[in-house]
Amino acid sequence: MNLILEKHALPDLLQSWRGNYDVYLPQKMERFSHFMPLTDNSVLVTHEPHNTRISPKALFLPMTEALVKFTRFGGYEDAQQVIQPRIIFAIRPCDAQAVQLLDTSFIQEAYTDPLWLERREKTITVGLGCHEPCQTGFCTTVGYGPFNKADLDVLLTDMGDAYLVETLSKAGEDCFQGLPCASDEFVEQALIVQRNAHDQMPVAFETENLKEKLEQNFNSDYWETVSQSCLGCGVCTFLCPTCFCFDIVDETQRRERVRNWDTCMFRTYSLEASGHNPRPSKVERTRQRLSHKFVYWLDQVNQIGCTGCGRCVRYCPVGLDIRAMLRQAQTLPFEVSHAG
Amino acid sequence: MQDNGHSPYTPIPMHVLHAYYESTDHSLKTVELSFDHAADSQAFFEAFNPGQFCLLSVAGKGESALGVASAAWEGNFVRFTAQKMGSVTTALHGLKAGDAIGMRGPLGNGFPLQDWKGKNLVIIGGGCAFSTLYALTKHIHHESHRDDYGKLTLVYGTRTSGLCMYKHDIAAWHENEDMEIHQAIDVPEDDWLHHVGYVPDVVRQVAPSPVNAVAVVCGPPIMTKFTLPALVELGFAPENIFTSLEKRMKCGIGKCGRCNLGPKYICKDGPVFSLAELNALPADL
Repeated sequence: MNLILEKHALPDLLQSWRGNYDVYLPQKMERFSHFMPLTDNSVLVTHEPHNTRISPKALFLPMTEALVKFTRFGGYEDAQQVIQPRIIFAIRPCDAQAVQLLDTSFIQEAYTDPLWLERREKTITVGLGCHEPCQTGFCTTVGYGPFNKADLDVLLTDMGDAYLVETLSKAGEDCFQGLPCASDEFVEQALIVQRNAHDQMPVAFETENLKEKLEQNFNSDYWETVSQSCLGCGVCTFLCPTCFCFDIVDETQRRERVRNWDTCMFRTYSLEASGHNPRPSKVERTRQRLSHKFVYWLDQVNQIGCTGCGRCVRYCPVGLDIRAMLRQAQTLPFEVSHAG
Repeated sequence: MQDNGHSPYTPIPMHVLHAYYESTDHSLKTVELSFDHAADSQAFFEAFNPGQFCLLSVAGKGESALGVASAAWEGNFVRFTAQKMGSVTTALHGLKAGDAIGMRGPLGNGFPLQDWKGKNLVIIGGGCAFSTLYALTKHIHHESHRDDYGKLTLVYGTRTSGLCMYKHDIAAWHENEDMEIHQAIDVPEDDWLHHVGYVPDVVRQVAPSPVNAVAVVCGPPIMTKFTLPALVELGFAPENIFTSLEKRMKCGIGKCGRCNLGPKYICKDGPVFSLAELNALPADL
């Protein structure tokens, strides 16, 4: 269903949801924007030319959360998390796509992560398309786009004074009840905005045969070259919407077993008790990061594990650019026979 | 893994039945654990297959992945042998009978026993990695399973005789006529009646026949690295050579991302892989 939402009516609409939902939306936090709960004084930030610094994966996989409680006599019980129904407003299509990718890891027949599942089931996502795509993003290169609809209940298109509201599920429709229908002409104009945004995005690197090239050059000097300036700070993985690795540690004073975000870019990530480390230097760790996204995800679910959000490019302290790294990978030799 | 309505991250309650040193230098300790709840025990043994592992949990210290060193027929308990390495295994070494402990498992795939039926088995172990091979040997050794398999050849090497685990059983197995046992130590000792040398060399010397046989290797990485080619030289096909891998693990259920070997997770897709499978994966060990 296509509806029109006047921008001046948005604050009241957001507040009206608060009765039944926790509402999360991008708000100003220091020099950045961040998904935070809506309060009486919240100011929505949607005019930034890029998405929030920390990806909204944090709303499904918090940076830190208790998994297990230690009981008095050496026993264990599930840590209880209170998860309210919520609406995530103005999530960007790249970030919504990333959450859907992460489902393939957290929701599996053999083992499902109960906290992930509950948060997923209780969340309605209202996406905001990128009518002015950001400079560092490359969603179209990896097969998605600035108005990608994956995993959204609603997709908004910014049309100046109003949004085109495209409802994509019953739950999404219910949130926008009572709005006037958009005219065919308005929808047509929105499609032009969407197409223009898509066409503005250059091809950042070729993806054809990229998997085979990375795979076949596992022992190449290429990895040394592209990891040379890396500091190993892990910010690329920390901010990445598809990175999901976590550590599990015991917080003795809280009597809890906690999971925290972790990163394959740290030495201790794979360090074994014997002292052996399968990935002893940033060369192997960079190889793991890129191969996971552009080789292993494809092996597992036949999708690239990167949605082109551009955060790793924007926030790398030494300006390492995954797009340039992959362009360089495209110059590596490979044998076609393997691809067949 | 147990499905008791709890989160897969929450350990089930266990108690220590027996705890004893396995090696003369006290670096290896064995614990036998009993289940606090009958339902947990039932769920465990319905799922258990030799070659699987569990995460043993010490509240406040963390969890450690250890291979199961007992066969289901032995009784209503689970055995593990831990080398004292980090904070969790140090805590495990401090356990005594009656102490409470948590456990998650069984985890991983275990040995493909169905596929091995009717075949000769060559079991090659080194050091404390022998634990799951001990479980395998005990499983096969049981009268209800023994006829399913052909000839059994065991090669087990340790640095010293004192580090040899499960000494009583192994001594008894030497008397057994349907089993060929080759024990080895790295350097000569007085009164040692068996092989002296590294496991790959002993395997070459023993030269088990690859005809209708599978070989399974568990040992420290350096031993495995040199034993796999020795088996290939002897004529074993990569599809008939198996090994059990280890990497640092946290969740044990393929979520935390830590133990990946290419697109596979050692905890969920392994720990047992054939050499044919490993040859198709990146050498990221």
